[in-house]
Amino acid sequence: MLALLFSFIPLAKSFIGSFLTISQSGKVLGFAGISNYATLLSNQAFLSSVLNTLRFVIFFLPLNTFLTLLAAALTRKKHRANAVFEFIFLTPLAFSLSALALVFKELFRGRVSVINRLFGLSFQWLDEPGPAMAVLVIFGVFLDFALDYILLVSAFRSTDRSIIEAAEIDGAAGCRLFFQIELPSIRNMFLITVFMALKDAVLISAPVMVLTEGGPFRSTETVMYYYYLEAFRSGNRAAETTIAVMMVLFSIAVMSLTSRRRRDV
Amino acid sequence: MYKTARSAITIILAAIIIFPLIYTVSASFFSPEDFTAAEAKLLPSSLSLRNYMLSLNHGYFSRYILNSFITASMTALTRCLVSILSAFAFTHLDFKGKKAILIALLSTLFIPPDAMLYENYITTARLGLLDSYLGIVLPSVFSASALLMTMGTYLSSDKDIYDAARIDGAGDIKYISSILLPLTSPVTITIFIQAFIASFNSYLWPLLVTTRPRMRTVQVGITMLGFAESGEYGAQFASIAIITVPFLLLLLLGRKMIMKAISGGISE
Repeated sequence: MLALLFSFIPLAKSFIGSFLTISQSGKVLGFAGISNYATLLSNQAFLSSVLNTLRFVIFFLPLNTFLTLLAAALTRKKHRANAVFEFIFLTPLAFSLSALALVFKELFRGRVSVINRLFGLSFQWLDEPGPAMAVLVIFGVFLDFALDYILLVSAFRSTDRSIIEAAEIDGAAGCRLFFQIELPSIRNMFLITVFMALKDAVLISAPVMVLTEGGPFRSTETVMYYYYLEAFRSGNRAAETTIAVMMVLFSIAVMSLTSRRRRDV
Repeated sequence: MYKTARSAITIILAAIIIFPLIYTVSASFFSPEDFTAAEAKLLPSSLSLRNYMLSLNHGYFSRYILNSFITASMTALTRCLVSILSAFAFTHLDFKGKKAILIALLSTLFIPPDAMLYENYITTARLGLLDSYLGIVLPSVFSASALLMTMGTYLSSDKDIYDAARIDGAGDIKYISSILLPLTSPVTITIFIQAFIASFNSYLWPLLVTTRPRMRTVQVGITMLGFAESGEYGAQFASIAIITVPFLLLLLLGRKMIMKAISGGISE
């Protein structure tokens, strides 16, 4: 009981934040009915932020999934050379969000940027809508890469060796072994990383803030960055609570998909 | 053929992933002229430690690093403590409303903290904790996934030992500190590493709750050093290198442990 007392006071304290919100926004909605939602859904700026978020997700999710799976698959066997690559694939973990954003800003700065020179391009990356979104997507991949890589490579390595050996004895090798035996065996962890990346992508706000601040011409303004602007810059409580509630609902939907998978891991 | 293609792809991928890091280290030696050269440079024109001196002599930079270490350690320690005590209570003790409380706590797993940003900010402001370490730390002290992980481990610990310890006159605290903790240290270390990394790297929350320069964490402060404004991009990169390289070394030494900590958190 003593332990409970000790643990529950800080618990309750840190909870006030998360639970107050729900009841508070519940109250506000009670008065306003669904008119808050109606206003929000007919707001041009909000709708374009939804579109921007969708655009980000559509590019980010396949690219991130493909690259992390590729890296994990290539280095899944434990030997000395792979240990070096493994370390390299973890290095993005050493960067924090803001530090990496500063590096990216320099790499993509202006017409004579490093990236332009390396690839012979001449984009003004952060000042044109399309390229700015591309930079944001690449940035997102760097932020998520190490984590997803760790999860996938650990999943590959914890696969039951006897299944793989049995398949090898049966004559499966190379690509066939990989696609028919090893990949299906990490299916659950793979789906978990996809769902987690999806949730991160839809909720993206801090990377936008540090990299592009929604610009140019609001072309990278995502839903959660719009939420931040409305809540902290404009003091728009209606938009703030409504978006928060919608995001919690979305997150519940994704998390329940994930936890169903998690049970079978 | 198949093998060379494989190693070629691996090397290209690795080169892409490590490029920002190498560029950071290289750019930390750039002179101001190197940044404005007509052709963007990849390597510095000379190796001088001038940028590092500038960065280390900056009035607030070391203070930012100290702040980050303090808040990250506070978060990691309190999260471990809260997880240990509450997991013990939920697995070893019986009390009224145990199930309801547990469900309430675990349901926070579904609430994305980013969507609670504004409400948490208001709460922290009302508690008068803006611009304090406690304000930075408090919202991330409790983590439902950390509780879940700890509970999973404690459930598998032997109940008979607990009963025997009680009969021998050991209190709950004594039992936790001398029996339960030593037996389950991996899970505690995992939670500590996870919380420390997450807290050290967090950006948005510390940005919101700190206004005075003295209280900023390094992630927030690094964007406000003012080097870029005065044309000293090199010093900016030196500062980034200073906070990134120690983590890199930790990663090199504790790679296995960190990988285990991160993958363990998901599959438990």
